Amino acid sequence: MGNKQTIFTQEQLDAYQDCTFFTRKEILRLFHRYRDLAPQLVPLDYSDKPAVTLPYQLIGSMPELKDNPFRQRIAEVFSEHGDGNMTLDDFLDMFSVLSEMAPRDLKAYYAFKIYDFNNDDYICKSDLEKTVNKLTRNELTPEEVSLACEKVIYEADADNDGKLSLADFQQMILRAPDFL
Amino acid sequence: FCFLHGLDAEADLVGSLASMSTSERIKAIQKMPETMRKKREIRNKVLKEITKKSRHRGAQPSCCTQCLQGAAVSFRRFGNTLSEYFHQLRVWHKALKTIGAEFGTSVLSYFVFLKWLLNFNIFSFLINFSFITIPQFLAAEPNNLSFTGLELLTGAGYFQKTVLYYGFYTNATISKTENGPSYNMQLAYIFTVGIYFVICFLILLFSMAKFFSRNFINPQAFSVNASKLLCTWDFNITNEKAVKLKQKNLHTQIKEGLTEVNKEVLNFSVMERALRIAVHLLVWFASLGTAVAACTGVYFLSINNLELFMKGYRNDLESQTAMLVLPVIVSLLNTLIPFFFSWLGHLERFQTPGQHIYITITRNIILKMSIIGILCYYWINIVATSESQCWETLVGQDIYRLVLVDFIFCLLGSFFGEFLRRIIGTTVCMRLGLPEFDIGRNVLDLIYAQTLTWIGILFSPLLPGIQMIAFFVVFFVKKVSLMRNCQPPCKVWRTAQMMTSFIFLLFCPSFLGVLSVIGVTVWRLKPSEECGPFRGLSSMYAAVAEWIQILESYTGSKWVVWIYHNLITSELFFFILSSFVLIVIYLYWQIIQGRKTMTKLLRKQINN
Repeated sequence: MGNKQTIFTQEQLDAYQDCTFFTRKEILRLFHRYRDLAPQLVPLDYSDKPAVTLPYQLIGSMPELKDNPFRQRIAEVFSEHGDGNMTLDDFLDMFSVLSEMAPRDLKAYYAFKIYDFNNDDYICKSDLEKTVNKLTRNELTPEEVSLACEKVIYEADADNDGKLSLADFQQMILRAPDFL
Repeated sequence: FCFLHGLDAEADLVGSLASMSTSERIKAIQKMPETMRKKREIRNKVLKEITKKSRHRGAQPSCCTQCLQGAAVSFRRFGNTLSEYFHQLRVWHKALKTIGAEFGTSVLSYFVFLKWLLNFNIFSFLINFSFITIPQFLAAEPNNLSFTGLELLTGAGYFQKTVLYYGFYTNATISKTENGPSYNMQLAYIFTVGIYFVICFLILLFSMAKFFSRNFINPQAFSVNASKLLCTWDFNITNEKAVKLKQKNLHTQIKEGLTEVNKEVLNFSVMERALRIAVHLLVWFASLGTAVAACTGVYFLSINNLELFMKGYRNDLESQTAMLVLPVIVSLLNTLIPFFFSWLGHLERFQTPGQHIYITITRNIILKMSIIGILCYYWINIVATSESQCWETLVGQDIYRLVLVDFIFCLLGSFFGEFLRRIIGTTVCMRLGLPEFDIGRNVLDLIYAQTLTWIGILFSPLLPGIQMIAFFVVFFVKKVSLMRNCQPPCKVWRTAQMMTSFIFLLFCPSFLGVLSVIGVTVWRLKPSEECGPFRGLSSMYAAVAEWIQILESYTGSKWVVWIYHNLITSELFFFILSSFVLIVIYLYWQIIQGRKTMTKLLRKQINN
């Protein structure tokens, strides 16, 4: 694989390499994965920055995401308008944060946004209930779900406002290195 | 984090980024929690700011700075391409990713540990091979023994007069040409082994510290339920069946957690508590008794083994296979007794499943380390003082056979434990289901094998190479067996701390024990008279003492002699060093206590 690729200009590739955790080859490989989802929509020449957006259904059908119970939230968090439809920039951003080279603080920040279903910058009880249901495939009774969420808020809420802020969440992550 | 509120903050951010060095700046931009578009904008602004600054600063001609900048950019691009090629060299990256995706991170940690040990052995092999074996090839004596295939299994026969064993190495000073550069084999042997162990010690210490600091959990502040809910989802898993299983497990765990709330108020009566303690004591007594019995059996068997050697060396099939009895019995004990221990463990009732696992692992470690200990005792006290021609080669052969038979039993264990168990679980007895991959047992096997290798390095310098090949094969066999036969684990326990505990187990009983055995061998035991690099000396360490004596007569190396007499052999220096280390540890401990009190005070302030 030489330097001869015609998809991006050199400055674009440099910018991608500076802004994500990926090497040049990985960026090109990810571009081809993006393109494989919809070859007729994605052009092979990105040097003029075309505005191409892939709908959520295609993104959610990728093998890495299709069994993840949080795939919709992940796509919404990383998409430009919060609707799950992603441009190439959003796509690269998502995989950069999910890769193993991203530091834990960054992942914690985005995990907080993923678990924050109503996008109000706090994980309140209803957000937690939705999380628990997604984690257990809706098999717990509503009372059990409610009880579990109360316990979580009791343990992790440091400023006692009934919901988890980003700082509470990060504190908990710091103390629980099982976070992957 | 850099949250961008308003243009002022952004201007500040651009300014601070522009003043960093290139690599720091790239890292800072990568870590920013913003969209790609925003990051690109900031990056372009920063680059413009940098060119503005350099233009203000420099009265240099602009083409020169442009050349320099162009050179810096292309150098960075070259560095990136180079690191890409190095990434390709990451062996088994794809295999590890597949295992993590299908089985989760706890099973993955076993394979990561195996790969780490493999790298360790590659490093050991390269050091020993280059500094000890290659020079020996230049001064090799001819080997007039015949080669039959059985030697691969027993390590005796033809292999006795090869570089595989200590006995073959010469004690002469090797030189290719007259008055040319010479290579003192005695010093090379002892210094290579010594420096290798020091490097191992440092590597283990730093790895432990690195993993520990990354994964430290403050037990007081650990919020069990919250982290169970929000932090245990393993985003690495992509297999549908594994995801469903994980969801079911989390469901069970949350249910259990909720019902525990109702059972929290459970006071055991005095009778019940006494009964439980009695059961615990009984089981411990049984386990330790079994371990002692196993050790006694091994001891008497090995004395028998030695008599077989002493009676005379007959190169026929019967005596060759009789040499394999000891390793086979040792491996059988190591395989079967842990099953007995886990059965005993079911008789007891523990407060948490984690306790059960830790106590089982402790018992298995005690068993394995005591078996190795009794073997070392046998080698050091009985074989070394026997009247055999070359006792170091005998010890080397024993270790070679132990390593090889352990490797074969590992493969057999995989075959019986996973393959047959799956067939039984899916056809004959459907209730059992697929087997789970037993991480604890497999990791202890790895630690046992590595301990044997470390002990054997002094007596058989090529042993790390053999272990390297063994680990290589074990990786593939275990991976294939895992994919075909096993299901993901039900109970996940503290995955992040696993690597720390593995390396700690490797360091504490295993490596320190090896250091003491090697220390006793080098300082106290008399090397054999007729073979090996230390023949005729009173101890292996005497080679260093003699070398220092020779150096005393050269004026140019007086400082080496001074260091030796005043630092290495003087007790006062080690006393001062130990006191210093203890004082530093005490100071750090006090700092930690102070910080803990600080955190408590701050938390109270936040709550109020």
